[in-house]
Amino acid sequence: MRILLLALYAATSWAIAPGYMVKWSTTGDAAGIFKGLAGNIEFDPANLATASFNVTIQTSTLNTGNGLMNTHAKSAEYLDVAKFPTISFTSNKVVKAGPGYQAIGSLTMHGVTKPLTMPFTFQQTGTGGTFHANFTVNRVQFGVGRSGDVDDNITIDLTVPVTKK
Amino acid sequence: MLKKLLLLGAVSGLLAGILSLIYSKIYSHYLGVDFSTIASPVKMIASSVIGGLIAALGFALLHRMLGVRTDAVFNLIFTTLSFASILGPIATKLPLELQSPELFPWLVMPMHLFPVLGWLTLKPLFFPPKS
Repeated sequence: MRILLLALYAATSWAIAPGYMVKWSTTGDAAGIFKGLAGNIEFDPANLATASFNVTIQTSTLNTGNGLMNTHAKSAEYLDVAKFPTISFTSNKVVKAGPGYQAIGSLTMHGVTKPLTMPFTFQQTGTGGTFHANFTVNRVQFGVGRSGDVDDNITIDLTVPVTKK
Repeated sequence: MLKKLLLLGAVSGLLAGILSLIYSKIYSHYLGVDFSTIASPVKMIASSVIGGLIAALGFALLHRMLGVRTDAVFNLIFTTLSFASILGPIATKLPLELQSPELFPWLVMPMHLFPVLGWLTLKPLFFPPKS
């Protein structure tokens, strides 16, 4: 009986599959991607109480497509990758929101932690699935660069294919 | 004279293209990067030959205006323009799937100087200096 209950309440664990895309963009020229996404994803659409996200991105994997812009973005003036090697998101709870979901938690970037609500959708296909999220982060609030140089608001577009663990 | 100039432009451009090709092979081999989708062999040779032909037309045009002083002025313009053109690769934004874009300018910048080097090297063979 206890095993049955555990099985009922156990969250579904997902492993991040290759081919994920972490894009960021502004209304100007500054745009790019991050590689180095890793973490634990627990998500069952039928049991959101057990859902949790604990993911990190390696800041050194930033790529804008231009060497000078990469150096600038990774420098102490912006992401300061030597001092802050990761950006992380940890959810506190996941709730249903319209056709999708919301992961409510905290984002840590540049050594600053702020609350973040990340809207996302999930499409399951057999033993796999794809998470998709699109949200905006105000980089200045995290101490990433000064206001005005680049857009304060950075749009993040995540497409993360996953497979069942 | 124009035919000879165009031949010099084409041959020196071809030489520059071949040098670019060799240089890119060495660069990719030792640094482990592959920018062949951006700087393909066809693009390297074609752009060098086109550059050589444009230089030939420029020389012919300048010769009509300057006569005997053409060489000095042309060499100065060609070298300056070639040097200025290296700003292009520095500002280039590569497709995001290509890693290490900071190594791209170091691949392409020397190539921008090969056409002028080819021209200066081969010109005495096509137009021997009058003693």
